[in-house]
Amino acid sequence: MIAFSGVGRAPRAPLLKALLRLRVFVARYRGRLTGGIAAFALARVFEALIPLMLMIGIDRLKEGNPDVLAPALGIVAAVCARFVTVSFARMAVRRAGLLVAFDLRQRLYAHLQLMGPRFFGRYTIGDMMTRAVADIGLIQRLISHGTILSVILIFASVVGFTFMLSLSWQLTLLIFPPLPFIFLYAWKASRRMGLASRAVQERLSELGGHVQENLAGIRTIQAMAQEDNEIARFAGTNQRYAGAFRHQARLNSRMSAIMPTLAALCSVGILGYGGHLVLTERLTVGEFTAFFLYVNMVVQPFRVAGFVVNLFQRAAVASDRLFDVFDRAAEIEDAPDTAAPAHIVGDISVRHLHFAYEGAPRKALADVNLDIPRGESITVMGRVGAGKTTLLKQLVRILDTPAGTVFIDGTDVRDYPLAQLRAQVAMVPQDPFLFGEPVRENLSYDDPARALDLVWQAAEAADFRETVEDMPEGMETVVGERGVTLSGGQKQRATLARGLIRHAPVLILDDCFSSVDTETEEHILSELRRLRRGKTTILVSHRVSTARHSDRIVILEDGAIAEVGTHDELLATGGFYAELERIQREGADASDYAAAAGAPA
Amino acid sequence: MAESARMTSRRRRDYAMFDAELTGAVMNLSLLRRLLHWMKPYRATFAVSGALVLVASTLQILLPMVVSLVGIDYVIGGQTDTDTPDMGLVELTVALSDGLGLPPLLAACCLYVVLQLAWAVTVHAHRMTLITSVIKGLRDLRLDLFRHLETRPSSFYDRVAVGRVMTRVTNDIEALYELLRGLGALIGEFAPFLVALVIMLSISAELTGILLLALPLIAVVTFYFRRATRVLFRLVRLSVSALNQNLQENLSGLQVVQLSRRERYNHRRYTEINERNLAAETKSMRLETAYGAFTDSMASIAIGAVLWFGGGDVIQERMTLGGVVLFTQFIAMLFHPIVVLGEQLNVLFRAMASGERIFQALDWDETIHEPDAPADLPARLRGEVTFRDLCFRYDADVPVLRNVSLTIAPGEKLAIVGPTGSGKSTLIKLLGRFYDFDDGQIFLDGIDLNRIRSRDLRRRVGVVPQDFHIFSGTIHDNIALGDAAIDRDRIVQAARTVNAHDFIAALPKNYDTPLSERGQNLSQGQRQLLAFARVLAADPEILILDEATASIDTETELLIQDALRKLTAGRTSILIAHRLQTIQEADRVVVLDDGQVKEVGTHDELLAARGLYFTLHELQFQETGTATGS
Repeated sequence: MIAFSGVGRAPRAPLLKALLRLRVFVARYRGRLTGGIAAFALARVFEALIPLMLMIGIDRLKEGNPDVLAPALGIVAAVCARFVTVSFARMAVRRAGLLVAFDLRQRLYAHLQLMGPRFFGRYTIGDMMTRAVADIGLIQRLISHGTILSVILIFASVVGFTFMLSLSWQLTLLIFPPLPFIFLYAWKASRRMGLASRAVQERLSELGGHVQENLAGIRTIQAMAQEDNEIARFAGTNQRYAGAFRHQARLNSRMSAIMPTLAALCSVGILGYGGHLVLTERLTVGEFTAFFLYVNMVVQPFRVAGFVVNLFQRAAVASDRLFDVFDRAAEIEDAPDTAAPAHIVGDISVRHLHFAYEGAPRKALADVNLDIPRGESITVMGRVGAGKTTLLKQLVRILDTPAGTVFIDGTDVRDYPLAQLRAQVAMVPQDPFLFGEPVRENLSYDDPARALDLVWQAAEAADFRETVEDMPEGMETVVGERGVTLSGGQKQRATLARGLIRHAPVLILDDCFSSVDTETEEHILSELRRLRRGKTTILVSHRVSTARHSDRIVILEDGAIAEVGTHDELLATGGFYAELERIQREGADASDYAAAAGAPA
Repeated sequence: MAESARMTSRRRRDYAMFDAELTGAVMNLSLLRRLLHWMKPYRATFAVSGALVLVASTLQILLPMVVSLVGIDYVIGGQTDTDTPDMGLVELTVALSDGLGLPPLLAACCLYVVLQLAWAVTVHAHRMTLITSVIKGLRDLRLDLFRHLETRPSSFYDRVAVGRVMTRVTNDIEALYELLRGLGALIGEFAPFLVALVIMLSISAELTGILLLALPLIAVVTFYFRRATRVLFRLVRLSVSALNQNLQENLSGLQVVQLSRRERYNHRRYTEINERNLAAETKSMRLETAYGAFTDSMASIAIGAVLWFGGGDVIQERMTLGGVVLFTQFIAMLFHPIVVLGEQLNVLFRAMASGERIFQALDWDETIHEPDAPADLPARLRGEVTFRDLCFRYDADVPVLRNVSLTIAPGEKLAIVGPTGSGKSTLIKLLGRFYDFDDGQIFLDGIDLNRIRSRDLRRRVGVVPQDFHIFSGTIHDNIALGDAAIDRDRIVQAARTVNAHDFIAALPKNYDTPLSERGQNLSQGQRQLLAFARVLAADPEILILDEATASIDTETELLIQDALRKLTAGRTSILIAHRLQTIQEADRVVVLDDGQVKEVGTHDELLAARGLYFTLHELQFQETGTATGS
């Protein structure tokens, strides 16, 4: 019917196998679980004593014996004992469920941190969130409720049947025929309910998504006079949700009408045949009443049996999905403590570097050779998709750099411990990402304990100081979704400060000025020259105004180096760079447009 | 009349009120009364549902009576003449067994089956009638709310966070569902409770009194339990959302995390939240378990009490044996409503606050003033735009526009330049009628803008904002924007014209490629081209463009400039320009400063005049020796 985002997909492994893999996580709490289960078994015995006491009491009354103190007290005692054991058992088992969920979350978090672009090219963040929330939740529910329910199912049946058999085997046999039907119906119904409630969830999130997207684009909608269209579209979404909701309510209502009716059929058999036995004096009235209570004790769990089966199935799929993540090895292998120098100076050399993304038809980088001596400033330019970002990512191993191709201070980047490499080669990625945390923490992200005046200095250098000063709580202002929203240019300057603050021997800025106006950019570039004196700095930019101040400019074309040289040298060569410079200085002419419109954007 | 309407829409509003966290912890009955307005269309169904619940409750009560009063007392005990009220069940059984010639025992069984089936049918019918009307009523309310929000003016959305507005349509209405469902559940619990109470009182007032003694105890425990859980549930909710938010953010920024070597530090933080969550969950689990076991136990203890106190009555023949058995069966019906009431109280209070927020939004009457006698627009406007003595201020007293007078000829391409805050975007927003203005006039082909209905106007004036908003859907949907008149041919035509066709054709499903909300699968330049295609497909007579400031690679830049030329050809165009190329190609340039028109002329004329434009030009374009962006 409805395609659920991965939740309902066929598991990779058989269900049982998937569940068994969880034992690594459950084993630690084995004692707790066994204790809980044992306490449950005991509780069932106490519970079974209650109808027995009631039976004795009623029979005494029937015989005209007014002494019911003992059975009445017996009931109270059994109830108290049951209260204690049941509470203990439930707490033990539920706590185990919580602990396992805790461990699973810890493991998942730690594991995801080792993943890289290859992993997230395959799985979305939303998918991972579903696994972290819904799938771990299902496993927790299996342990907390599934264990309890299966124990109830087994022990209630065993204990209930034992007591019933001791009262009357004929009556006991009478309740057997309807049980399979109850079980089957319960199973089917709970599966349908599961589907229905997922459908409701789907529709609800569709509705939420619709409203969110609509309101976010309200200006466009109003500008294009699309309000009526949008209201009509929303009426559809709204109606679909109401429909799914009603469907779920119907299943729910039907099930809670049919279940007691099925159970009542058991009671009718007992009412008729049991009454007959009492009339022919083969059963006492007390036994007759007790029997009713035992029937409930046995039938009740059967009503939830379907739910339990469902719980196991869904948890198995959930477990499978979690191990699907756990089974993936870290994308970038860390180097053991090697003989790599402890301090990077900043001599970079790239030797015959080829690189292709998984599944891509052509290479992203083809035979790149480049030497960047310590202290040099380089600007990398080129069309979209020329390989600029791919090249820079190799230096910090955000991509899996091939062995023997990229060297820093003469040592292969693969031989540096990752932590050291990324500490001493600082890269500011293209997408200015800010965390929902105070500005101070966002700027000093690598070292939350850094002194505040250092943070201000970095903000100053990135021309971000005034922006921060204008914020309601200055450096402590929370930014992001639930805080102050920043413009694209402000975000870029913030991430720029995040890179500058580190004073790393090598600094890589991947297109960090695109939303900053030229005036501000001038200021930042001059700060950059001052701060980066004697240190290696690599920029990516589309603007000649940015590139012209660099020691050298590298032009990438289709993954290969097309031009290298100073501003003046490249102008003299009359290649791609010279062309760019002309267009950006004079503006384009008709032939430029024609050339551009002929090539894909 | 029109004047007063205009005044209300300009009066000062407390927008903070809209954003404030409302905590309606008091019972607010007027809220329920307002809610009834949406339930009114379904009142017939509600009445049916009410009648059904009474029938169902009675049947629910009769079932145990068949077992105890008919089965045990009459059939087995042979008592035909007791004082116990049996609601005619014994007579019915006698009549059944006489009429069909069945033994009394079998007749009782038949009666039981019939009653049980009747109960199942009525209870299902009751629930369905109730929930269906509730679902429909709230569906209507949600749509009304959405319609209301959808038509609030820009001034509203300038001030109010979209997230806040959104939760009113989603979570708050959900809370009302919970509320009405909860009320339904209470009815389903209390109806049998009352019927059972009447019967129990008539069987043995004394024994009923003893059982009722337990009610206050359960009520008190329930009250304290709920109070404690309210706090704990809140802690759990907070820690769960902190957990999810932390993970989500960590994954979204994973590259930054890895580049900053924050993995271990972040994991430590996550562990802290995870531990906090575990502690809160454990506490609330313990409390819940204890409470659940307590209510279970109360019912069982009550059975003992019935046996003890009822036993004496049976011996003294003040009560039948069946009466005692019946009492044990009624116990659950007596205690359960309190437990359910406790469950529903929290929901009730949460829903009160939600209701308050919903009605506050519905009462928000800020609108754009629409003309009483709207002018009819010709099929095609020539496209002449005239501003006459236009003044404008937002809520603050600072004037944003002062006496702007300007005429734009049909088909003219006009560039507006000026420093930040000079009033450029306000000027075009007024032309799009996103704000009310009454000081000065704007004419479109000689027709006063205030006499044109805003939606008529917006079909004629197309706006390309700096940021292209992507709606989830295909490229086709995003260009057509729900306008059925725009077919595929027109879309392809538009896309071709603005140089977007090539990259669309290269996408896996070309025009049917789905776009995600944030549009990660498109580059900035491509989004700009799509925005052009969208406005070109709508084919407005007047084009307004707020040029994007971000610099893009030069090649895409050329495509955009080329598209812009085609888009503006033969169309009255007003461009807030940031790029030199755009300004150079405009027919005229208007320099705005401090809300006033300072200079008008072509690029060359203005440069030659050595005025404000010259200075701006020097600052933005000349200093760096190149000519991109501002």
